[in-house]
Amino acid sequence: MTPRSSSTTRRSVLALSAAAMTGLAARAAGAAPQDELRIASHVSLAPTWFDPAETPGIITPFMLLYAMHDAVMKGMPGNPMAPCLAERCTMAPDDLSYAFALRKGVRFHNGEEMTAEDVKFSLERYRGAASKSLKERVARVDIHDPHRLTIHLHNPWPDFLTYYAGATGAGWIVPKKYVEKVGEDGFKKAPVGAGPYRFVSFTPGVELVLEAFEGYWRKKPAIRRLIFKVIPDEATRLAALQGKEVDIAYSIRGELASELLRTPGLSLNPAVSSAPFWLYFPEQWDSQSPWHDRRVRQATSLALDRDTINQALTMGHSRLTGSVFPENFEFYWQPPKPAYDPDGARKLLAEAGHQRGFDAGEYYCDASYANIGEVVLNNLREVGIRVKLRPLERAAFFKAYAEKKLKNIVQGASGAMGNCATRAEAFVAKGGVYAYGSYPEIDALFAEQAVQTDRAKRTAILHRLQQLVQEKAIYAPIWQLAFLSGVGPRVGQSGFGLIDGFAYTAPYEDLTLKGQG
Amino acid sequence: MKQFIVRRVGYSLLSLFLLSVTIFLFVRVTGDPTTLLVEPGASPEDIENMRHQFGLDQPLWVQYWLFATSFVTGDLGQSFYYRTPVLELYFQRLPNSLQLAAVAMVLSLLIGIPSGILAAVRVGGFWDSAGKTFSLLGLSLPQFWVGLVLILFFSVYLGWLPSSGSGGILHLLMPAFTLGWYFAAAHMRLTRSSMLEVLDSEYVKLARLKGLPEALVIGKHALKNALIPVITLAGINLVVMINVAVVVETVFAWPGIGRLLYEGITFRDFPVVQCVVVLGGSMIIVVNLLVDILYAYIDPRIRLES
Repeated sequence: MTPRSSSTTRRSVLALSAAAMTGLAARAAGAAPQDELRIASHVSLAPTWFDPAETPGIITPFMLLYAMHDAVMKGMPGNPMAPCLAERCTMAPDDLSYAFALRKGVRFHNGEEMTAEDVKFSLERYRGAASKSLKERVARVDIHDPHRLTIHLHNPWPDFLTYYAGATGAGWIVPKKYVEKVGEDGFKKAPVGAGPYRFVSFTPGVELVLEAFEGYWRKKPAIRRLIFKVIPDEATRLAALQGKEVDIAYSIRGELASELLRTPGLSLNPAVSSAPFWLYFPEQWDSQSPWHDRRVRQATSLALDRDTINQALTMGHSRLTGSVFPENFEFYWQPPKPAYDPDGARKLLAEAGHQRGFDAGEYYCDASYANIGEVVLNNLREVGIRVKLRPLERAAFFKAYAEKKLKNIVQGASGAMGNCATRAEAFVAKGGVYAYGSYPEIDALFAEQAVQTDRAKRTAILHRLQQLVQEKAIYAPIWQLAFLSGVGPRVGQSGFGLIDGFAYTAPYEDLTLKGQG
Repeated sequence: MKQFIVRRVGYSLLSLFLLSVTIFLFVRVTGDPTTLLVEPGASPEDIENMRHQFGLDQPLWVQYWLFATSFVTGDLGQSFYYRTPVLELYFQRLPNSLQLAAVAMVLSLLIGIPSGILAAVRVGGFWDSAGKTFSLLGLSLPQFWVGLVLILFFSVYLGWLPSSGSGGILHLLMPAFTLGWYFAAAHMRLTRSSMLEVLDSEYVKLARLKGLPEALVIGKHALKNALIPVITLAGINLVVMINVAVVVETVFAWPGIGRLLYEGITFRDFPVVQCVVVLGGSMIIVVNLLVDILYAYIDPRIRLES
């Protein structure tokens, strides 16, 4: 082969490659059609999330429930418990029953009309989180006519609606006849609901395709097609958003969030979730421990430069509530804004006998949030509290936390749904899953509120309880985490932050692309 | 020969049994999956309910017995996360993995073998150094880094290729190259060393002394023998590519078995991890068994020695 012929070959190969790549580029660059919205999901979508009956105690399945299904009552913009499939709900004077008047003319995606039978069936079929407590307390369901039913309880239960219409999937309605016809597995393969979007196809690990349900009672969705694409890697999600392959990318954090902000046309949409983060002092009930002294715990809180942590890790979007209770929860009490006062912290430590600071042992955290711990550690060291970071793998961390094996400082968090009473039960009251000890006055208040059916009185009790949690410095709250997502240039209304405490985009029927209503 | 095959099959079954016990115990050492399937703060009764549903409240030996007996009947259990039979999940993902592995394998052989031959023929020269650099980079650059650089360049900067997902040849190019490069480097190194050994042998020297053209000596006489270990390695690598391309499939959101394994590990989805490892291990065991039998068939010394 002569040099000349070699050169000619190389040139032709290059020309051919260029032509091929141009052709490829033209195909690859194809953006989504005008009436289609593509969402990059950070987690693999599970078919169990298509069925409200299987709702586990996590928020993620609601990302799909809001699209495919509808509930008797659910969180909506401006109302955490908005009547949806029910026009109204009335509690009996004896607090033993709840009467629901259902909306007439509501149809499922298969054309069947939604009736009280479906509501009863969905409640009885429910087997997800808190199903046992719910079913143990529900005595029976009476159907009066196709659009009216009453749920009777064995005893007054002030949190019934919190569970039925918030923390579980029991109030999300599926068509009885269809489920009985296709069976449980058949329903997961081809779910039918009463939500704004109907199921088209699902490829596990790849994508879920939904199409607008024109007969949706609230309004006709503006976007014809929704596609959830599963992209587990955060950097790839951002690349897909930058390349206009998707319109919304869930969970873009830290450095990547800064990169997103530098990309013209993209915006960062924070949604403050119901997940507060905190420092917990499990040894505060041990009189030999330095953490027994309230001043040490208060000093720890004063040492935290929450504003800087917030700016560095969530671009300033997390909410510094100063509470371990989510601010969007029922019965929430707003404590004073947490202060950053290193001098005050040193003073308190000196008063507690730690003029030169002290070796505080270890700082345990879930490894996926060790970045918060790294910054907090520096804050604590500045005032003389010397701790070593001990990140644990998520499952191991929560197992050790729940089994009460952790010491010194624990960086905890929870996104569990419910209200301030359910949160207190797990984290503050005696015997709580994550409570290493308790205080008698708090336990008394907790017991008192559990049987109090007068809402105003119960609110007052729970406010006092939260006040005591703050006064006793049981926790040093960090923030209520903002879930950051990226939004592309085609999106008009992204839906982020419309529903208080909900991390994902919703209600889906309100989403628009630019140029649409 | 019959006795040899029976003994080898016995060893294979023993290996499979040991593999199943090891993976069964290893996944359970990693912790309780229910803590990852509910939010912290979930009620103990919900957690207990979930443990009961998954059979995790049974003693370990009962769990293993149920797993082993179901496995024999072709049932590898239900995914904790997807709540669907794991075999169904595995076979849904298998075509994607086969597609990716096939293209990556072709790429790795097309790049690795010629560059290995060139490096051996021009040993100590420019092509040898270039080949060594290529293989060093291929083996040492982390796949996630290579993948992300490719995405940045071809998807974000040039906008030529889709950054993730599956669906067409365009989706396949970057993941196949990322996966193939690592194995191309391995194939290149083995081809080079194998070729050097063969080129130094007496029969090659004789062929040259007889005045055969160099291309014929290399292409016909040397390459045939030098390729035997490369092809053997490629066979095993193909099984690895199909089952454990975890990093590449995760970075490119490629819905294959590697990503299924990643999801299984992430969510402590014991049945998924067990299924992928046991089926992947079975493939390797079967390939080795067939190779052993083939070797014994070709070379009587092997079966007589054993």
